[in-house]
Amino acid sequence: MKKFITMLVSILLLFSLAACTANSDAGSEPKDDGKGDSKEKAEKVLYLNNGQEPTSFDPPIGFDAVSWNALNNIMEGLTRLDENHQPKAATAEKWDVSEDGKTYTFHIREDAKWSNGDDLTAGDFVFAWKRLLNPKTGSGAAFLGYFIEGGEAFNTEKGTADDVKVNAVDTKTFEVTLTSPQAYFLSVIANPAFFPINEKVATANPEWFSEADSFVGNGPFTLAEWNHDSDFTMVKNDKYWDAKNVKLDKIHWAMVDDTNTEYQMFKTGELDTSDVPADLADSLFKEGDVKVEDQAGEYFYRFNVNLEPFQNVNIRKAFAMAVDQKQIVELVTKNKEKPAYGFVSYGFKDASGKDFREKNGDLIKTNVEQAKELLKKGMEEEGYTTLPEVTLTYNTLDSHKKIAEALQQMFKENLAVDVKLANMESNVFATDQKALKFQLSRSSFLADYADPINFVENFQTGHSMNRTGWSNAEFDQLVKDAKNEADEKKRFELMYQAEKILFEEAPIIPIHFYNQVYLQNKAVTGIVRHPVGYLELKSADKK
Amino acid sequence: MNTYFIKRFIAMIITLWLIITGTFFLMHSVPGSPFNEERTTNEAIQKNLEAYYHLDEPLLVQYGNYLTALLHLDLGPSIKKSSQTVNEMLGRGFPVSFELGFYTLILAVISGITLGIIAALRHNGVIDYLSMSIAVLGISIPNFVMATFLIEQLAVNFPIFPVATWTSPKHMVLPTLALATGPMAIIARLTRTSMLEVLTQDYIRTAKAKGLSPVKIVFKHALRNALLPVVTVLGSLAASILTGTFVIEKIFAIPGMGKYFVDSINNRDFPVIMGTTVFYSAILILMLFLVDLAYGVLDPRIKLHKKEAK
Repeated sequence: MKKFITMLVSILLLFSLAACTANSDAGSEPKDDGKGDSKEKAEKVLYLNNGQEPTSFDPPIGFDAVSWNALNNIMEGLTRLDENHQPKAATAEKWDVSEDGKTYTFHIREDAKWSNGDDLTAGDFVFAWKRLLNPKTGSGAAFLGYFIEGGEAFNTEKGTADDVKVNAVDTKTFEVTLTSPQAYFLSVIANPAFFPINEKVATANPEWFSEADSFVGNGPFTLAEWNHDSDFTMVKNDKYWDAKNVKLDKIHWAMVDDTNTEYQMFKTGELDTSDVPADLADSLFKEGDVKVEDQAGEYFYRFNVNLEPFQNVNIRKAFAMAVDQKQIVELVTKNKEKPAYGFVSYGFKDASGKDFREKNGDLIKTNVEQAKELLKKGMEEEGYTTLPEVTLTYNTLDSHKKIAEALQQMFKENLAVDVKLANMESNVFATDQKALKFQLSRSSFLADYADPINFVENFQTGHSMNRTGWSNAEFDQLVKDAKNEADEKKRFELMYQAEKILFEEAPIIPIHFYNQVYLQNKAVTGIVRHPVGYLELKSADKK
Repeated sequence: MNTYFIKRFIAMIITLWLIITGTFFLMHSVPGSPFNEERTTNEAIQKNLEAYYHLDEPLLVQYGNYLTALLHLDLGPSIKKSSQTVNEMLGRGFPVSFELGFYTLILAVISGITLGIIAALRHNGVIDYLSMSIAVLGISIPNFVMATFLIEQLAVNFPIFPVATWTSPKHMVLPTLALATGPMAIIARLTRTSMLEVLTQDYIRTAKAKGLSPVKIVFKHALRNALLPVVTVLGSLAASILTGTFVIEKIFAIPGMGKYFVDSINNRDFPVIMGTTVFYSAILILMLFLVDLAYGVLDPRIKLHKKEAK
């Protein structure tokens, strides 16, 4: 009996202890809330959601949207994308380009400073870019630096850091030599991978980017607080060269990974923007509050040209033409995506100001009659009386499943072909797709930088994004020539031709271009969402 | 008694080692890699990354290195969140998960046992049916449905509580409620069943015959024996609740460690997979040990030290 009483007492004690901890927490926590404070009401605070913990704020390591969205606002490269997604002078005030288009000399602003007050020098860029390319850094973004002379050699351990042609002429002049003239170079270097790094800070503390206290940036905002896996806060950076044009005082980023929760928080005013939950998309679109913007990327399917029956171009085309992209976006995804009949997405202007996609037109379009004929022709060419069994594989996810089922239905109705469906956990799927184990499989591509070449280059022979087994010497040559062409008109002409060849051979079925759909508090203006995937808050404002 | 503890401790260490070894080799035998994203990079960069995380070394060497580091309580760096170590991640996430789990357990145990007792005492009465219907609902409604329902009603329609995040006691109410319903229902049903069994036993009849008050009979005599099955499930229940739950933490944006269990596997973030497994196993083994101890306290017929008993 005594034992029992002791137990009861200890349980009671435990309870009261718990109550105490709850109370002490209660006293200290609300400061994180950042809301309701009378002093802060005068401040312009934007409440955003980053979804998840950023991978890293180390520029060459945080190579994804969850890092970029924040990083793009607490740091800045030589150039910065403006509201029309074009590169504008940023940390660099101006630049000169050599006659052969290969050497760029950037003049860094005299008043460009780090958030700790240090002067921002050309050396910081040399340090950062060499670090990006250093194989020991282990950066997934390093390939972006391959068009710098010596960059690829250094990253693949065939050369040294000294061979990389980046150079500080003086403290404020930075010079870089490219392997070939690249018209999109100024756009690529707006990517966070090319942000400068304060050499002094990074040498003293190699982990400078992992906490708010030690973080030193040069963007419109600076990192004030970072509670890992929970939230982070950035405040206006007074030392930023263009601080007078930065309107917000503070941005609070939550990390809410669930779209429904995000939407509920938006409804209750705890967030200023939100994604659109899939279940509510229909009704929200009808209410007209949803904003839609392009994203540079495409949802598509890959054929494997090494596996039967897709070694035959007519059979590939037949399958591609049997797909009704319009129906997929209207009835299946219902997310206002643009149907894709080419590979390069909308939003890239050529020398004459025409949109790449509009100019090159629909390269493969839904055509059931022609699809049937092509299938018949292809089967005759291969001597098939019945088509070998086709399995369509996708990585396990509800949205992919819906599209896969729609495709299955279309192949059945339009070609009278029964396609089997298979799905796989995404990591295994990716491994097998790279090993060319599937006949027909789901794919997606999101552009790393804003130029059509980034799309087209994927299908060069042996490129890591090719994954179809497709190879075409003429196509390879056109891409290569385009990369070496300084004249914009000619360069686009080469890319137009290359994309046409891609669809004459049809190693892929385009489905739809990606877009960004979101809800936004009506008091908020000026948030720019770049098609290449990062958020711009420099000019954002909240009434 | 001491030999019992020493034996138990050695057995716990061996169990843990077996789990570590099993997980390590299983995890590496699964196809896929931590650097397997749609936004792919070329082979040279892939190699650089693998070298950076020592994934290019033979598996046995990696295993040896891991065990050595583990002996120093170093769980390694996360591959996916490269600026963090697994120790830091668990060190941050576990207290949060533990806090939520702790409140949940208290709520579930108190309300579950209470419901169970009432149902047993009013066997086949209206109250019994009512509380057991609640329990069946609690078991059959998944906690994410409960969570969504609570958010919709108590945060959006009637803005009493905040929708999500983990910043003040007010933020903790909804997730605790959502998470507690399931365990509460399980405990209520178990308590009811074993209470019914105990209440028909001879010693209870004796107690009644002696004229003891019903309160005394229930709390002094019946409950103690009826709690044994509850304590049994409580061990593994506590281990899983205290180390965080993926769904609830995701819905309420709680910075606990629940998400690491699932995300690490999807990302093939090997050190995090190992870290969460080792940590969870250690907690589970500890809880099972505590349950065994609790048996001895609750029921003196169960002896922990058999040899001495002879």
